[in-house]
Amino acid sequence: MSSKPKVAFYWNASCGGCEEAVVDLAEDILQVVEAVDIVFWPVALDFKKKDVEAMDDGEIAVSFINGAIRTDEQREMVELLRRKSGLVVAFGSCAHIGGIPGLANFYNRELIFDRAYRTVPSTPNPDGVLPRTSSDIDDDELTLPEFWDTVKTLDQVIDVDYYLPGCAPPPDLIMDAVTAILEANLPEKGTVLAPRKNLCDTCPRSESKPDKISIESLKRPYEIEADPEKCFLEEGIICLGMSTRSGCGERCINANMPCRGCFGPAEEVFDQGAKGLSAIASILGLEKEEELTDEDIERLIDRIPDLAGLFYMYSLPSSLLRRKKL
Amino acid sequence: MSEDPRIVVFCCNWSIYPGLQLSAIDENPDDLPGVSHIVSMCSGRVSPELVIEAFVNGAWGVMLAGCPTDECEHDGNYKTRKRFIMLRKVLEEFGIEPGRISMDWFSTGEVAKLKQSVREFVDRITEMGPARVVKEQELG
Ligand code: SF4
Repeated sequence: MSSKPKVAFYWNASCGGCEEAVVDLAEDILQVVEAVDIVFWPVALDFKKKDVEAMDDGEIAVSFINGAIRTDEQREMVELLRRKSGLVVAFGSCAHIGGIPGLANFYNRELIFDRAYRTVPSTPNPDGVLPRTSSDIDDDELTLPEFWDTVKTLDQVIDVDYYLPGCAPPPDLIMDAVTAILEANLPEKGTVLAPRKNLCDTCPRSESKPDKISIESLKRPYEIEADPEKCFLEEGIICLGMSTRSGCGERCINANMPCRGCFGPAEEVFDQGAKGLSAIASILGLEKEEELTDEDIERLIDRIPDLAGLFYMYSLPSSLLRRKKL
Repeated sequence: MSEDPRIVVFCCNWSIYPGLQLSAIDENPDDLPGVSHIVSMCSGRVSPELVIEAFVNGAWGVMLAGCPTDECEHDGNYKTRKRFIMLRKVLEEFGIEPGRISMDWFSTGEVAKLKQSVREFVDRITEMGPARVVKEQELG
């Protein structure tokens, strides 16, 4: 029997990008495979739930779990993995703070089903059939897991030891985390395994950023060709680097796209969306702010539709409000 | 039986709060049922996070009583005005009506004006009822 530490990977409400991130470790993955035994990884290996059930409690050294939680089946699986694992790492934005699937918290099951199965033009469904937890087909019962009204982060469902942020987490942070686990050199429980700085502190554009920026007109990224040397805010494009944790390797910034917050709140930020909103509102029309009427301010703000979706793009389930009450 | 509204009024430490304390010798600033006054070091310190926190903790409405625009020592009220206008729009998408967030500006001596504004705000919010905020145990 192998004495290597056992590792599991699991996915929930996610896009598959986190699985891709593991594969993106390239040659480094060989080191990982050398050092550990992967005992469960539905996307790549043929182990089943019953194999996990057959293990002793705590037998898996660490489970890396990606995706938000929004069905009964996902809860059952993460509860099982929690029992069987010494450590659980919330892997990626969706497990950490809710991620893009978390935007569904502006709706509920009924509204989502109605859109996805009835009113969306690309889904012909003349009988208006909706997913059900149980259906009888030719005397057989077919079941589907219950779909929740609310998307939750992993730590709202099970106890989580560490967080690896990002959409998806970058290879260097994954390798740092794996190495720290293998060497038993881990920080305090609950730590986000990424730098403590915010993105603006490490952004290559911050050097040329003027001390004072005043946004005279907000722009959406497609409306202008952004200067790759300038801070996005100078050009009126909302960038959430001030409220977001660094560590992503500035991948979006280097691709000339503004930050949308996938690394979660910077240290000491309680509500990433509210903090981002506050930072942007403060510099809106800053130059002549004394002269602005309330109506002028509204006009400046109204250039951007769906501000809540923008400021809470990745963090709605972990925000103070958590969802819209319908 | 109708519930008393729960209202938070953030008052600036350098203008209206001292005024309120001086005037409160025979009248408690919290004399309206359900209204809590919280002193803030500058209206600029009343962040959107604090306002949301108030709603999460059961506030039906939040009012900001800051210094008149040209009397703030720190230009905080100009920033907060923009933040509150943006916050109203963001919270509307969560189902929290813009009318639940009020801001007005008062000099030290304008206690009567503040009390009048608070009374009007309480009336408006009482009519609206509790804010639509989901409690942990209601999350499905
Ligand atoms: S706001 Fe965006 S572009 Fe500007 S310094 Fe911060 S992260 Fe970089």
